[in-house]
Amino acid sequence: MKRERQRYILFKIIKEPDIRFGQKEVINSIWQSIWRYFGMKIANKIGLWIINLNFEKEYGIIRCSHQTKYIIISALSLVQQINGKKVILSPLKTSGTIRSIIRIKNLIMNKNKRT
Amino acid sequence: MPYFESRLKVNIKDFDEIEKKLEFCKKLGIRNLILEPVNIFKQISFELREKIINQTKLNIYFRYNLTPNSVNDFKNAIKNYNNFPYILSVESKDKEIQINAARDSRVDIVSFSDENILKTLSQGVISLTKQNNSFIEFSLAPIMVRNKALQSKNFRYLYKFIQLAYKSKANIIISGNFDELFDLRHPRSLLSICHSLLDIPLNSAKKLFMDNPKLLIEKIQNRKNNNSIESGIRLIKGGEFN
Repeated sequence: MKRERQRYILFKIIKEPDIRFGQKEVINSIWQSIWRYFGMKIANKIGLWIINLNFEKEYGIIRCSHQTKYIIISALSLVQQINGKKVILSPLKTSGTIRSIIRIKNLIMNKNKRT
Repeated sequence: MPYFESRLKVNIKDFDEIEKKLEFCKKLGIRNLILEPVNIFKQISFELREKIINQTKLNIYFRYNLTPNSVNDFKNAIKNYNNFPYILSVESKDKEIQINAARDSRVDIVSFSDENILKTLSQGVISLTKQNNSFIEFSLAPIMVRNKALQSKNFRYLYKFIQLAYKSKANIIISGNFDELFDLRHPRSLLSICHSLLDIPLNSAKKLFMDNPKLLIEKIQNRKNNNSIESGIRLIKGGEFN
């Protein structure tokens, strides 16, 4: 069987200061969004996996199947609240390999530091 | 790639609020913005405009929105906007006003942003905007409603009328038009929503967020240029014959 291609999505977590939540709450909210807008038919094709979540530096990396890239981006964008607190999960970049997504993440972080 | 947020309402009297909104847009990575001053009936001052543009490193453009109550009201208001240097849009529930706005070359956008106005879109208005090279605007703000029933209803209306305009090959612009800061989304995210939930092909969706706003801005810049007669036609060497 041919191996399924994957995509890595880097996203930014924008929240009000002093609000904390865990990895479990973030993944639950993403799944809720997928269920709410796309349903079971799509949810079983996604293959969602959290690679990295950093609340201090406000970014996250998730993995999904390459066919559901736009679905995941939409689902991330449509997340409005986590634990009743307003939040934005804004997709920044998509890549086919974990190495390049980490390189892109480092570039963005360095650029943000400079500005 | 130049993605545009084509409508962000700002209160011109409150500069702190404008600064806050622009800073948030910067944080989201939005680079091209079209601001709509609210609570203002005249053009904003040159100083304020320059202050807003210089404050951030964003590409900022301005638009004005007319919301006339009757056809006479529209005809009286539009008289003041000959050779207007900014984008002019008209938003109304009344079909007569929509038809008049679509016919009028001074109007750049006929807006269907509000969910109640969205329902009134007709084939006639689409056809007139095409003839006049003006744009039809939809907004994705109604999908950010918390109530599930209302949200699915809004999705249905958006789907139905965006597909109607898209299949008629209208000039479409899709904007965010979000009021609250935490409802704001990057146009790239909105593009994904249009593609995955509103069934717009990816290349066409990109056009709605990148090419069409760019065309609109070029149209306004040509209007400022006295040598330009209409889109694609301009006088060279100031119109002198050799």
